[in-house]
Amino acid sequence: MRFLGLLRADADSEAGAPPSKELIERMGTFMEEVAKAGVLLAADGLHPSSKGLRVKYSGGKATVTDGPFTESKELVASYAVYEVKSLDEAVHWTTRFLEVLGEGECEIRPIFEASDLSPDLFSPEEAAREEAWREEMAKKASQA
Amino acid sequence: MRFMIIVKANEDSEAGVMPSREIMEEMGKYNEELIKAGVMLAGDGLQPSSKGARVKFTGGKHVVTDGPFVETKELLAGYWVIEVKSKDEALEWVKRIPFDEGEEIEVRQVFEVSDFPADILPPEEAAREQAWRDEQQRKAATA
Repeated sequence: MRFLGLLRADADSEAGAPPSKELIERMGTFMEEVAKAGVLLAADGLHPSSKGLRVKYSGGKATVTDGPFTESKELVASYAVYEVKSLDEAVHWTTRFLEVLGEGECEIRPIFEASDLSPDLFSPEEAAREEAWREEMAKKASQA
Repeated sequence: MRFMIIVKANEDSEAGVMPSREIMEEMGKYNEELIKAGVMLAGDGLQPSSKGARVKFTGGKHVVTDGPFVETKELLAGYWVIEVKSKDEALEWVKRIPFDEGEEIEVRQVFEVSDFPADILPPEEAAREQAWRDEQQRKAATA
């Protein structure tokens, strides 16, 4: 099963405060451990919301609002995608990540797999199309 | 530059209501366009928060809370990660997402190693990061 882990933003991450050199070293060691365990599919930090934007879609129109966004508790500061056997295992790695970070809050959400969808909603042809673009995407990602 | 496109949850996504077959097909076509243009690095839908959990770590202790979480507007329903040349190009792509009924997304720039000065991220650390990222890519390619 794949899970998306999301770290909540705080005043520091939204201010664009860089992490300390010590934290970068500790996190580097941890990320090596996670990668070696073979459970990590992706992980990235996000720039503050001041560099982002929001879009709302309605009646054929997309309305754009530039960041920053002030509700820092609703914002995401970083994410990770884990491939693990259970929610408990995702909680385990998330807790270890927060220990290394020192403080913080994460949300863990299971990702939909094609097999979670019923065939009348997601036909075998659509599933095959999705499989094809996912393979192409993995190729692209491994070259990035 | 890489951007994360975050799709906000709504009552339907939180209730586990699936999109129609037509919408699934439209989204499949959109994803194929992203792939053909060589900009799509990742994209997934998330199951409702009722199947998730939160972990809070403070003062050396962690507390796990099971979902569901009630603040629907703060929650996510899906995401993409795209690689483009500029924020404007990212915006061009997000405007074409086949959404039309009040959906909301947030676009956020992803940190690259080159965004950090060398006194924070020295070359040795950057090399270590490259190594675990390579390992992660190998894992992702075989998933």
